[in-house]
Amino acid sequence: MIRVVRLSFSIGDFRLDQFNLEAAQGQYFVMLGPPGSGKTILLECLCGLARIAAGHIYIDGTDVTNLEPRKRGIGYVPQDYALFPNLSVERNISFGLRFRGYSRQVITSKVMQAMEMLGIVYLQKRSVYGLSGGEKQRVALARALVMEPKVLLLDEPVCALDEATRQDICAQLHNVQRQLGLTTIHVSHNLEETFSVADMAGILYQGSLQQVGSMNQLLRKPQNEFVAHFMRCRNIFSGEAVAQGTKSATTKVRAGSVDLLVQGKYQGRIKFTIRPESIRLTNNLPNEPVDNKLQVKLIRSRDCGNYVQVTLKGPLDLIVHLSHAAFADLAAKPQSELIAVLSPENIHVLPE
Amino acid sequence: MLKAESKEPVKSWRGRLFTAACFVFVVIFVAFVLLLIIADIFYIDSKAVLTVLTSRFIRHALWMSIWTSITTVFLSLIFAIPIGFILSRFRFRGRLLVDTVIDLPIIFPPLVAGLTLLVFFSQTVFGRWIQEDLGIEFVFQPKGIVLCQFLVSASFAIRSAKTAFDDVDRRYENVALTLGCSQWGSFWRVSLPLASNGIIAGGILTWARAFGLFGPLIIFVGSFRGRTEVLSTTVFLEQSIGNLEVALAVALLMILVALIALTIIHFVGGTTQVKL
Repeated sequence: MIRVVRLSFSIGDFRLDQFNLEAAQGQYFVMLGPPGSGKTILLECLCGLARIAAGHIYIDGTDVTNLEPRKRGIGYVPQDYALFPNLSVERNISFGLRFRGYSRQVITSKVMQAMEMLGIVYLQKRSVYGLSGGEKQRVALARALVMEPKVLLLDEPVCALDEATRQDICAQLHNVQRQLGLTTIHVSHNLEETFSVADMAGILYQGSLQQVGSMNQLLRKPQNEFVAHFMRCRNIFSGEAVAQGTKSATTKVRAGSVDLLVQGKYQGRIKFTIRPESIRLTNNLPNEPVDNKLQVKLIRSRDCGNYVQVTLKGPLDLIVHLSHAAFADLAAKPQSELIAVLSPENIHVLPE
Repeated sequence: MLKAESKEPVKSWRGRLFTAACFVFVVIFVAFVLLLIIADIFYIDSKAVLTVLTSRFIRHALWMSIWTSITTVFLSLIFAIPIGFILSRFRFRGRLLVDTVIDLPIIFPPLVAGLTLLVFFSQTVFGRWIQEDLGIEFVFQPKGIVLCQFLVSASFAIRSAKTAFDDVDRRYENVALTLGCSQWGSFWRVSLPLASNGIIAGGILTWARAFGLFGPLIIFVGSFRGRTEVLSTTVFLEQSIGNLEVALAVALLMILVALIALTIIHFVGGTTQVKL
């Protein structure tokens, strides 16, 4: 378990101010954020590679704030892995073990165990030159894991890899982490990667933690506009709560020229988001009575591989994600008139 | 018709002309240096070679040149490694001044270096205390040769060591720290081995500068036969008494020693990435 309490650190114009974070024992926590948000600096503070101005860092209940990096019980995999270029794969992995006074047999057995776990025994005698990105990543991970750390810190561990290798490594990271029950903090800017490994995630922006939660919470219930935008929600609108809704615990919100029914009770000006995959599109008005029907015109559609992104113009300009089958059923072309149905429970009002 | 494949980018005739022009300069320079050496070889006669091979004084000067220059290299590296590491890794007040002072001996006119040492050890209280009270004599002594060579050539070793440490990515050291290394351990097991080729290159430069040093030696230690004479001063002594053939033969001996040493160091340097 790792707990960060009111950590402050600044360098140049950048600062982490009164930063709090907690990752439970055995939890896989992903810190998401755009480049320059302070993810790497945060990891360096946790490792002891950057001296913090104030605050405390606890690992398994022990205050390690003033301990040297080597005494913190941390396994660290930096971006680009930093494998020692003058050592073979085996000697890279055994590097740290040699400071622990283990016998040669114990070192060899621990190194073999780590290599077997990560499927890199075939690399044992190889030089680190000429290894592929995925192999380097596994060697760097083995080098960190062989030290049996209490907490594993991974700095963008798969960002330099191709899509297929990235998926393999993410699956392997997740398995290894589960197998060892290791508290892990992984920093990334990639949502797909985070979905594949994270138990919990946080979103960092300009040194400030915007929100912590499960990926589902971050996706469906963003705390603010930045989180919504970072989670790739483009449907962010402003409106004014004008009256109580017709149903209990609902509010009628005026956004531009349209009134929408929103779940929950609100007053004054609000901002709300609608996930693009939660909007239903039909050619005709539904038979059953539904709330929040908008007459829209299809501007363009784009095949994004797993889904079709549809851009709509109407009282609210919407982006909608449809499955290929659903889009084919619509038989819609640019300028087609469509009905967009926004269910009140899928309209999320931003708390901030 | 397609030419043989290669990793060279495709070039127009202008590109090939540019490469050819660069090669012309390479050829001119190499030819110039080789011509000078060949001219020297043809100028000397067998008598001069025999004199060089049999002279007790020249053998002594050769030995002095070798041991003083090697000692200077070791001494320079002892200073260069920590100084280079500090300059590469730490930002501190006065760093610019320190950096400038370290580079100063590189641009010192060699005679000035000798004169400065002479004034310091013979005219200042501290210098005289070292010489007279501590009994560590440098002026007109073999130890003075090493001091002269160190003053004039250590900067090359320091500059090379700094550049070599600059080229070692700090992330390697950071990872080593998280893997159980202390600061010293990370320096000894990571930074130093990775910087070793650059440091060796600095050692080569230092040795070359020390081996051929002449100006400050004449002023600070003189050129006493059988005592403080090194090969560079032998060349001067021989040509000043009209023995031009012997002077050239000694010069060729210096070139030969330098060639052998550089070849050995290059060979060793290329494979001396210290194993952890």
